[in-house]
Parts: sequence; structure tokens; C-alpha cells
Amino acid sequence: MTENIYKPDLMEVTGIRQQTSDVKSVRLRFLDPERARGFRFRVGQFGIFSAFGYGESVFNICSSSNWTDRIEFCFRRVGRVTEALWNVEEGEVIGFRGPYGNFYPMDEWEGKNLIFLGGGIAMPPIRCAIWYALENRANYGDITVVYGARTVADLVFVDELDEWAARDRVRVIRCVDPGGETPDWKGEIGFVPTVFERAQLPAADSVALVIGPPIMIKNTLPVLDRMGVSPSSIYTSLENKMKCGVGKCGRCNAGPVYVCKEGPVFTLEQIQSLPQDY
Amino acid sequence: MSQIIAKSALQELAAAWLAKGTYVAGPCRVKPDLISYAPVSAASELLLEPCRPANSIKEFFFPRHEKLYRYHVTNTGVELFDGEDGAVPQVVFAARPCDAAALPILDHIFNWDFPDRFYLARREATTVVTFACAESDEECFCSSVGLAPDSTCGSDVLLLDAGEGAYEVRCLSDKGRALFADRTQASDREGRSAAAPAPRFDAARIGAFAAAHFDDPFWAAHALPCLGCGACAYTCPTCHCFDIADEGANGSGHRVRNWDSCQAGMFTLHTSGHNPRSNQGARQRQRIYHKFHMYPAKFGEILCTGCGNCGRNCPAGLGVLPVISDIDDGKHL
Repeated sequence: MTENIYKPDLMEVTGIRQQTSDVKSVRLRFLDPERARGFRFRVGQFGIFSAFGYGESVFNICSSSNWTDRIEFCFRRVGRVTEALWNVEEGEVIGFRGPYGNFYPMDEWEGKNLIFLGGGIAMPPIRCAIWYALENRANYGDITVVYGARTVADLVFVDELDEWAARDRVRVIRCVDPGGETPDWKGEIGFVPTVFERAQLPAADSVALVIGPPIMIKNTLPVLDRMGVSPSSIYTSLENKMKCGVGKCGRCNAGPVYVCKEGPVFTLEQIQSLPQDY
Repeated sequence: MSQIIAKSALQELAAAWLAKGTYVAGPCRVKPDLISYAPVSAASELLLEPCRPANSIKEFFFPRHEKLYRYHVTNTGVELFDGEDGAVPQVVFAARPCDAAALPILDHIFNWDFPDRFYLARREATTVVTFACAESDEECFCSSVGLAPDSTCGSDVLLLDAGEGAYEVRCLSDKGRALFADRTQASDREGRSAAAPAPRFDAARIGAFAAAHFDDPFWAAHALPCLGCGACAYTCPTCHCFDIADEGANGSGHRVRNWDSCQAGMFTLHTSGHNPRSNQGARQRQRIYHKFHMYPAKFGEILCTGCGNCGRNCPAGLGVLPVISDIDDGKHL
């Protein structure tokens, strides 16, 4: 009989890190050893995570695809399902469907300088690509990470930012919105696009991955354009509402595409050809 | 030579299927003024003549509400149990050709990449018997989307009125032939259907307009009367959007899917509050765009069979026809 595409894998929660007052990252392992052995994904893909009795939510798989013993996701406590996920404890079981969607073309990015621009809760879908690049370090050029949040307390994966910054040819620029700094804040103060432009990076042979709130993306694109990064080298991940994740339920349509299947990763060039439906 | 069957034999035929344990669904007078396709327990409940039920037959393949699986949360973990896939032998009897024609169109979406076993199992287990239409009304527009009152798409058997109390039986598949084996007689009478309704619009133009005028004020203006109730989508044979939710209590329940509609304001609402389709105009546009531009571009078929249910069931007098007629008359091109 054909497989039930809506039935999730059962996953044990093996680690929880509270990132901010309302953001957690969760580490999972497959309960079925065979499934664990066979599971592969590509960075940039997403999963659908279940709290049984509450429902499903869609999140990027924010771990590196090189970590084959686990997957991780990160979420903000903001609704019914995420409230239930927030209350899950280590050792408990949740559901996972996936991996779904397309992925960052890490192969095509080989030999290029990588610019990662993230805002707020958008660090997780960038983090997976950063780790992947660092684990295949010889394949990539300089790596720049510009990561901002409203306040210092809203930054996530802060310890990993330090870890990345200590690596060769990696520059990590942290920023918070004006007024979001603390007395001992050592990073920049300002919005991601402004801080990024101030950094005066050379743009030759660069690809950029830009994920964040629409206003951040909107204001970052002109900066990249002024630097000479072409729309075909700028990537983002669309976040249309989804339910099935497998191109059936009709919810994620953005103009002519199913974001769940043809996305979520698009170049700016592709997005410019889509109608404003995201 | 054709094969015919007496009109009076049809009820007997349905009774024989029921007696064998086959599920039978067809048009029934469910209220004094309402004819709907519904499952029956006795053949006498069926209206075995061409008629125009308010709903479509899609619910016998893609039910309004469907259990995808059962979950049970215990102290030691979670257990999941597969849902029934509903694959019991089923006959959908006395359907309209425009209802049956939706099935090959829906096959694309339920079968690409990730086959949907619930839909596909029912499709496999179901035989569809249609009546060629005896008349069309002012909402019918099958001829504008490449169909006709005697279209065979999606039918296993097509019955056409052959006069003198008989129907011509055209078996179109092995499933159909099995259903009518030894029940028909050879005849030189030919069945007939109603004349095709006059074409109302050029479907290719509608798709092109939707693609080229995505942000046109046209949509908002046309959506003003729309209540966003979704009656168009629920009675549409091709609309297939759904929601997935959990239903249960005390650690035990079902993950289910329910029909949904792009006409609902919350359909695309993000948790952040951002809504890509924040007004009814954008939602009306989506319905036309999806049916006449996106689906043809992806799957080569218009996501509409011209049945007219959207127009007949719309409490605000809309449906796709007035909107696309206004596009096609060129006033907005």
C-alpha cells in the first residue's frame, strides 16, 4: 500500500536550549533506527513538526546536513502549536515530517565568498548553511555573517556566533537596533542593512543569503545591489503559510509556484519574476 | 449498434450493487428543495435521471473531513495508527459529466511527487456512472473549458437518453464494463444529450489576464459583494485546498484534514500577522489565477469544468462566471 505521506516520524527530544525568553532550539533523534540511518537532507530544507493533540508547524531544519545523528529546529513561542512545543521536555516524543522543499545550492556556492545576513529569529535557517560551509571550509572563500536583532536579549545562537568568529577567514558582525543595546554591548548599534553597508565588504565572487523580516530584506537588497552582487547571487527563503508541505493543500501558492516544492529557497532574480503573493 | 438499458432497470442495478456490499452514492432529494449527491442505503433513494445536485462528487474521493491517522500519547511515548484509506468498492451513480471530468484533473495534484493514498485508493475503488446532461442552465459553461454535456472524461460509463424509456450505455473502462455486464441489450437506437451551452468566454484569455493583471484594481472591485464564505470552493468539483488539524482529548485523538478555501481570510495569514492576501480582491484573484493560469501551466489542464456550482451556490451572486465574463468582454484588457 502507498505510504501515508501525512504520518510523521516519531522523534525523541534529546536536547533543548532556551535561546531567548520566547525562543527555544530543540534537538531530535529518530526513534526508528532504520529511518535514522537512511535519513538525509540538504541545508535549507524544512520540516513539519507535530505536537500531538495540538497540530503541526513548519520550521527550517537548522542543523547541518553533516550531523547525521540528529536534526534541530528552532521556534518562537507564539501560538497554539509552539506553546505545546515549548512545554515539551527532554525524553518526550514529537512528530516530524520531511525533509521538504528545495535547498541552498551549496555546491554552486563553492569557490565563492559567502555573505550571510540575518535578522532576529531568522538566524536558524542561516545557521545550518554556516555550519555546513565551515565543515567544508576548503570549498568556500571568506565568510561574513551580519546578524541583528531588536535587542541583545533577542539574539539567538550567541555562543555559536563566538565560535564562528574564532575561525579563519570568518567575520561575524553583531548588531542590535538603536535602544536595544545593554551597557556592556560590544557589537554594533544599528539596523542590519546599515551596519552591513558600513562594513564595506568587497563583493567580488560573493553570494548572499538574506533571511529576516520583510523590512530587513527590503532594505538590504539595495545595499547588495550597490555592492555589485547580482540578483541571481542573492538568495532568500520564503515563509508562506503551509499545511501539507507536499504540494497539495494549496496554501503556499505564491503566484505560479508552490513554495513548499519549488521553494522555499529562491534567488532574488526568481522573486523579482514572481507576483507579490508572499 | 449501441447497447441500451431500460430506465426502470437502473434502480434494480443499484440495488444489486448495494446487495453485494458496494457503497453507492448519487443524487438524492435530501430536503424538499435540495438535491445533493449523498451515499444511499436503498436504491429507491437515488434520483436516477439527469439532475443538478448542489454539491459535487469530489467528496466521495476527497471527503470534507478525513482522519489521516490516530495518535495516542502515553506515559512512555507516542503511538500512531494509520487511518482507514476508505478503499471500499464504491459506485458514484448518476453523476454529471462536469463532476466526473474533475477527477482526471485532480489526479495530477494528488499524485505528483508525493502520492496521496487516501484519494488514490478511493479513485481506484470507485466506478463513476454519468448521465449526459438533458439540459443546461444559465450558469453552465462546460463548453468554455473544453467540455460538453456528453463529455466522457472521468466516467467509467456514460448513459445517454435514447428515448422510449431507455438509455444508451457507453462503457468507457473495464470497471464500467464489469458494472453493466449482462445488463444491456443491443439496439440501433442512439442516445442524445442536450445541446452544448453557447461558449461564454475564452479560457486562455482569462489565464493570461490573471497573470498580467495581478495587482489590478479590477479584483478588488469585483470582490466587493464577496462574503468570503467559501461556498464556491466547497461545491466546486475541482477545488481541493485543505487544512490539517488535530482533534482529540486526553492524549488521544486524530490528525485530520478538512476542506478549506482560499476565500477565507485566515487561509494565508502568517503567525506574525502578515497576510500576503489581506483583502477579498486578492483572494478572488487567487481563485481565478489558480484555476485558469497556474494549474494549466503546471499540469496542462484548466482547474474548472464549467459546472456552474460556484454561481448557483454563491449567496452574493458571484461565482467565477461574472468575473471572467467581465475579463473576457475586453473592458479590462
